[in-house]
Amino acid sequence: MGKKIQINKEFVDIMPQDYLDLVETGTYESPNRGWKDFGTATELIAEHSLCAGCPESIAFRHIMASIPNPEDTVMVGSTGCTSLVFPMIAVHNIHSLFGNQNAIATGLKRALALRFPDRVKDVIVLAGDGATVDIGLDMTLQSWFRKERFTTICFDNELYANTGGQESGLMQKGFLAKMAPVGKKFEKVRLPEIARESGCDYVAVMTASKPSLVEKVIKQAVLIAREIGPTYIQIYTPCILEIGKQSMEGLQEMRTSEAPGERFKFREFISPEAQSFLDGLAEKKKAEKLAASEATS
Amino acid sequence: MYNVAEVNAEECVAQKGCRLCIMYCPEANCIQLDTSKMKAVIVESRCKGCELCVVVCDAAKHQAIKMVAR
Ligand SMILES: Cc1ncc(C[n+]2csc(CCOP(=O)(O)OP(=O)(O)O)c2C)c(N)n1
Ligand code: SF4
Ligand code: SF4
Ligand code: SF4
Ligand SMILES: [Mg+2]
Repeated sequence: MGKKIQINKEFVDIMPQDYLDLVETGTYESPNRGWKDFGTATELIAEHSLCAGCPESIAFRHIMASIPNPEDTVMVGSTGCTSLVFPMIAVHNIHSLFGNQNAIATGLKRALALRFPDRVKDVIVLAGDGATVDIGLDMTLQSWFRKERFTTICFDNELYANTGGQESGLMQKGFLAKMAPVGKKFEKVRLPEIARESGCDYVAVMTASKPSLVEKVIKQAVLIAREIGPTYIQIYTPCILEIGKQSMEGLQEMRTSEAPGERFKFREFISPEAQSFLDGLAEKKKAEKLAASEATS
Repeated sequence: MYNVAEVNAEECVAQKGCRLCIMYCPEANCIQLDTSKMKAVIVESRCKGCELCVVVCDAAKHQAIKMVAR
């Protein structure tokens, strides 16, 4: 059991079982936490109201299993389907007014650095494409221009899911949706490229089809944001409801959309500073492994 | 009536390392690994009946999960 996360002894007998499980078998303070904990450790998400089979739920699980420092992380959410999950996660989080998430995260990150100068505090924004690219675009870009040190994750389902399927900047050209019946006239906004040009030190485009890849990308993005500069992850979480898929078809939809030449084929941009930081981490890990194997032999 | 997933322990090959359903179930803490029997088990109260576990298990030719009415 971790030292930072404890229950006051006086309250143990009145705490719900789910809470006790989190404290006993949650993965706070576990240096190697990741998707491999699934099935045996208590995850940091409780029951929420997203649709059955929603890929946003899959992505959320993979992300919550992977963030490197959950006990010292504050997440910032925004309006949209993701906001139905935030009240059910076991990490501090703030719900911001639709679109304001990167402005809130900026103030929060700076305040945490002043309040806890000796402690690592990570800030992670997680919001839909409408919040990130349309209504919040000003706040998103300004935070990158200022090189604010936090991670921005966009759950890109290419439309406004929570309000019934309106057009979004990240919707594909020509796409028809329930509340966008004439088809989109413009190209999908190239936010990953804009992120790179706007000051992000790390950018990744992906789907949630491989938990090991989500884990790797999330860890890199959070660590680079902690030490170097802003990071951005755009992850395809198709809204099965609005694109007319069955509840069990979300995974296949993600796999199809990440094939070579498709719009969510995995790609990442890493700045030279971020790359040398990652190289340093890899060196350190190698040295630790060597020392460990020498100690046992 | 509500559909939930059910694992047939005889067909499940979690003891050989399979974790497919546990990895891909969209719901957190919903499919657990019984570490004494080394089989996947569904926490029915958390299952939304999406059938994705059936899809991934069948695709790997294990066919250990079916949907049952409750
Ligand atoms: C300031 C403000 N404007 C508009 C809305 C209405 N609204 C709620 S959710 C939503 C769309 C969310 O879309 P997105 O960010 O893509 O998230 P998704 O639901 O697709 O995951 C809108 C427009 C709101 N809640 N607040
Ligand atoms: S409306 Fe779409 S994005 Fe929202 S929970 Fe349902 S499937 Fe997921
Ligand atoms: S996918 Fe099938 S075989 Fe694999 S652990 Fe789950 S139930 Fe068992
Ligand atoms: S039916 Fe869906 S929610 Fe239920 S156990 Fe299978 S994958 Fe999980
Ligand atoms: Mg959206």
